[in-house]
Amino acid sequence: MSLPLRSNRVIPLLALLALALLWCLDFVSIQPNRIAPGSGLGLLAALGPVWALLLTGLLLACGLLALWSPRPTYGPILALVWLLLLQLPASLAWSIERHIGADLPYARVGIGAGCWSLLFLLGLLLIELQQRLGLSRVWLLGSAVVLALLLGWLAGQGWLEPLALLREYQSRRSQFAAALSSHLALVGAAVGASLLFGGAIALLLQRYPRAHKGSIGLLSFIQTIPSLALFGLLIAPLSYLSAQFPALQQLNIRGIGWAPALLALIAYSLLPIVRNTCVALQEVEAGVIESARGMGMSPAQVFLQVRLPLAMPLIIEGVRVTSIQAIGLTAVAALIGAGGFGTFIFQGLGQSAMDLIILGALPIIVLALLADGLFSLLGEGFSSGARR
Amino acid sequence: MIELRNVSKLFGQTRAVDAISLSVQTGELCVLIGTSGCGKSTTLRMINRLIAHSAGSIRIDGRDIEQIDPQQLRRGIGYAIQNTGLFPHWTVARNIAVVPRLLGWPAARIRRRVEELLHLLDLAPAEFAAKYPSQLSGGQAQRVGVARALAGDPDILLMDEPFGALDPITRESLQNELLRIQAQLRKTIVFVTHDMDEALKLANRIVVMDKGRIVQQDSPQALLAKPANAFVENLLGGQERGLKQAGLLRVATLMQVLTTAAAPLAGPRIKATDNLRQALSLMLWHRCSSLPVVDEQGRQVGVLRLDALLDRPR
Repeated sequence: MSLPLRSNRVIPLLALLALALLWCLDFVSIQPNRIAPGSGLGLLAALGPVWALLLTGLLLACGLLALWSPRPTYGPILALVWLLLLQLPASLAWSIERHIGADLPYARVGIGAGCWSLLFLLGLLLIELQQRLGLSRVWLLGSAVVLALLLGWLAGQGWLEPLALLREYQSRRSQFAAALSSHLALVGAAVGASLLFGGAIALLLQRYPRAHKGSIGLLSFIQTIPSLALFGLLIAPLSYLSAQFPALQQLNIRGIGWAPALLALIAYSLLPIVRNTCVALQEVEAGVIESARGMGMSPAQVFLQVRLPLAMPLIIEGVRVTSIQAIGLTAVAALIGAGGFGTFIFQGLGQSAMDLIILGALPIIVLALLADGLFSLLGEGFSSGARR
Repeated sequence: MIELRNVSKLFGQTRAVDAISLSVQTGELCVLIGTSGCGKSTTLRMINRLIAHSAGSIRIDGRDIEQIDPQQLRRGIGYAIQNTGLFPHWTVARNIAVVPRLLGWPAARIRRRVEELLHLLDLAPAEFAAKYPSQLSGGQAQRVGVARALAGDPDILLMDEPFGALDPITRESLQNELLRIQAQLRKTIVFVTHDMDEALKLANRIVVMDKGRIVQQDSPQALLAKPANAFVENLLGGQERGLKQAGLLRVATLMQVLTTAAAPLAGPRIKATDNLRQALSLMLWHRCSSLPVVDEQGRQVGVLRLDALLDRPR
């Protein structure tokens, strides 16, 4: 079969892959209690023939719509993908309804690989559609928020009660809140501090361009140290300092805990911030700066009114990369007692409790996506004036 | 009036500008011309202290510019450059308002001034004031650049190849615009270009520079009549000099005036305000040795004969 030239091949491929994984992998797994091994349920067993065929039909329709129309009609495909996404929580609730009765009060339902794959591939489909339709990134963010709200509502109604993830969460509510706040505090402090220091370094490098190569080299070198090693390396000097100066102990600065984690995070964050800020400040067109000076602006006015605003989108891009990186690295920082969602991941690994690991990993992914979306929006806002 | 006396500029060991002396009279449009690297742009930028001169003195209306605070000095001098240098994050109106804001004008006065300048440069304020530079065509952007240079109502205007990046048609219309504005405002303008046609068209005086020195300075007519050396001759276009010179003269200066104006017969005709170069081209095209000359209303006011062009005194 020869494919029409204008047809989209990404969407059919993703839809087909989703279909294959959905049928081959377990959709959910059921454990009678937390310790007993679970048994996996395929799509048909989990959801019943009607729902399974409906899912299959929707995915096939996505692929065919993209393939067969001479100019793919992305609007209807988007609607189908949305429908598929929104039925996910409902399908979980439905499989719980089907399999968990009052006779199994401690039973837990784990989300299976098939379900995760569907979520992941639907995400890819949404990104593809967002780019084809030229939609703003707010759109992706909005879809995620709607999905989260729907999940929250279903959980609130008690329909997702036996979901293992939810059970893990419910027995750790306060720990979860603490992990969230310490994770955010570490990331916020690290990004904030490195924006301050990185900005200052970038400004100094503007003035002394000779130091540029060396400084970037040093920061790049730090970037190559594995994160765990850097956390470890900071333990010894901080322990020593803390032993020498009791005042530091009162601030809770010790070999382990938030202090080495924050230092390491700042060290990692400096490179993207310094590099982006340097490039951003240099890339401002020479003619624009020249005419700003020629109009009689003072050096401070040239910097604050012209150079900085024009560099802003790229600087924010640096902050975006840094935030996402810091959100991920903070997970590792849990190993040296810095708190954050990493705590759940490592606890889960220790207890080989998959759902606990997911309870730690999922919020990290969500935070990273949120940071990405927010800073992209901010960057777009800053550059909107300068663009067409 | 701008006076440069023995002004030099050294970049390291190289002499970009070598002891030049030049005075630009108030209301004059003085064009600096030369090949790239001849020091014309450097000379221009020394006048508003974007580049500090190494030796000599530069005076504006009798005051040494080194005695004036550079920012104050620049706010009093309009400055327009190639590729406009417009601020891409500001609207057209905000771009034009830069110098008035720096001068601390009240908001109402700035608004009036911006509107006035947009009208002067033939840009409808309702359409253009809120646009961003990236939404403008090259010609429109350059008009905004000129408007911005004029915004603080400076006595002096420095223009560094302002029309260099434009297509020939847009360039010509902007040159005409500049001449119109200059006839109206009588600023003192120093204009840098490497295009001799542009220089001949715009200048009251042309200053030819080569290797940091002034080779010749004269009116366009005098420059064409007596180029100082082979370099200037070359810059004037060698064999095309005759046409260039003809381009500077209006048909009205050489035509034979008719006593009674009347509608001419059908056929080629030329306007009294056109130049001799255009007349010559028409004659060549229509293979004729005389053309009826008409006024703006299309009535014949005279006759231009080829003989008159050839008999013209040097």
